Amino acid sequence: MSQRTNGTAELRTYAEDRQPLDRNWLHKQVRHLRLWRRFLGQAVVRETHYRAHFVTTLLVGLVQLGLGVVPILLLFGFTQEVHGWSRAEVITLVGAYQIVTGLIAAFIAPNLDRMTVYITEGELDGVLLRPVSSQFYLTLRWINVAELSNVMSGIVVLVLGLVQSGAAPTAPQILQALVLAACGVVLLATVWSAMSFLAFWLQSVNPIGAIYLNLVEAGRYPLAFFPVAVRTFLTFAFPVAFATTFPVQALAGDVGWTPVAGGIALSVVAVALVRMLWRRGLRSYTSASS
Amino acid sequence: MNTLVRNLRVLRRMTAAEIAQQSIYRGAWIIFMAANICVPIISLLIWRTAIANGAQLPIDEQYVTTYFVLLSFVTMATSSWLTGFLANDIRLGKLSRWMVRPASLLLGFVANNLSEKFLKLFALVPMIGVLWWIFRDSMTIPAGPGRWAVFAVSLVLGAILVFTIDILIASIAFWMDDVSALAQARLIIASVLSGAVVPLALMPDWSRGFIDNQPFRFTVSFPVEIVAGNLSGYDLLVGLGLQTAYVLVFGALARLVWAAGIRAYSAVGA
Repeated sequence: MSQRTNGTAELRTYAEDRQPLDRNWLHKQVRHLRLWRRFLGQAVVRETHYRAHFVTTLLVGLVQLGLGVVPILLLFGFTQEVHGWSRAEVITLVGAYQIVTGLIAAFIAPNLDRMTVYITEGELDGVLLRPVSSQFYLTLRWINVAELSNVMSGIVVLVLGLVQSGAAPTAPQILQALVLAACGVVLLATVWSAMSFLAFWLQSVNPIGAIYLNLVEAGRYPLAFFPVAVRTFLTFAFPVAFATTFPVQALAGDVGWTPVAGGIALSVVAVALVRMLWRRGLRSYTSASS
Repeated sequence: MNTLVRNLRVLRRMTAAEIAQQSIYRGAWIIFMAANICVPIISLLIWRTAIANGAQLPIDEQYVTTYFVLLSFVTMATSSWLTGFLANDIRLGKLSRWMVRPASLLLGFVANNLSEKFLKLFALVPMIGVLWWIFRDSMTIPAGPGRWAVFAVSLVLGAILVFTIDILIASIAFWMDDVSALAQARLIIASVLSGAVVPLALMPDWSRGFIDNQPFRFTVSFPVEIVAGNLSGYDLLVGLGLQTAYVLVFGALARLVWAAGIRAYSAVGA
């Protein structure tokens, strides 16, 4: 039992004096990373219970991939190239799209889909009590392992596209593409998170998820296929360009380090902004159950 | 006749009730419609770029633009979402409580469908209007009310066709536990064959005979073609005839399967 005097008021607690959970900032990050590894392990175990779900997800993913290729095959039946993009390059891009959307569907979507329930049904209460960053928990707690099969099929399509287009990316180009695609995943995840966190003010955000899922379809096509105003929107406001167009251009060797630096800077800004939005939202949260 | 009048009266009351209920979610409807319009806009921009870039398409810019501007409206107007709900009602035995009521089981779904269309209309029409205005220079507007009347008729037929196909697929739940995979497969197939992804006019020549006569064309593409395309009077007649024939065939089939299903139905707890 310990006693602390705080001015005139006396605070009495019956708990042992304990070390704070985290010694420093770095320790906190490592602890969260370890936690995430547990989430992943649990998700894999859960997936083995529902093998039919895995097969269904795989089949639906494959059909959707095929469906995404149909407009492109038709389009390139009428022309050899559009704004400097050949068919093989656009197919590479479809592969990149499949990889990025697969990653988001695996790690981010299962969480943001629950946002309405978390906030309107007061489940967030239970999260706030835990010794974990609530934003981290709400954005990354659930993982849909089956969606990773779409990442695999995306890689196959990407490689097929690269072979067809005769591209031979060097190591730095592959690094550029990886960094750009990572920025794309982070940017899309933050944009979707920001849209979902509007649940603090709007109550139901399920329709907003539909907006995201429809807008992201623009990533199936190179940026150059859109009018200039739309390109700006798809680069800075809804940055799907970083997820697909820029990485594929990097693999073709058409991108310097400037967009890579820009992507990293944009990601940092986006993460900081979404963190701020979360804190604002949390302050306006009035718990549904109590 | 008496039954029909009574059913219509029930339908009217149920639709009014559904509208009152669903207008609670009016904000959500607006956002949903904004989401629905995204993909047609993306396709529109892509195909216009292709044409501007010199692609030799069998259709011109006017057709492409009119097609995609109208697409989200027609898709919405002929859509139906009852498969999942009806299949659930069958599987969970909720059908029982409809069976003791003095009107058709399906009236509730018709009312739900009508009210949903009614509310979506308010959200979608202004958006289509704005889109139309932006692309007004490349829009084809058929002269005279005749085409629009045919368009309206074919829209209603298309909606009935989608509704009956939905009932048909949901009815399989009388014998199968889970029809969600089947429903999903049908959605994916329909999105290509109905022309919701790419105008059917752009499909390759070798697929023409099949593409032009398969049922899904008449759920979305055909009504749009009436306004956007240059269907001759003969094409219109053949199209409408085929559409009516499909409505009758699928209607009869759905009725048959539904009736057989109701006989086979034994709900848990009923």
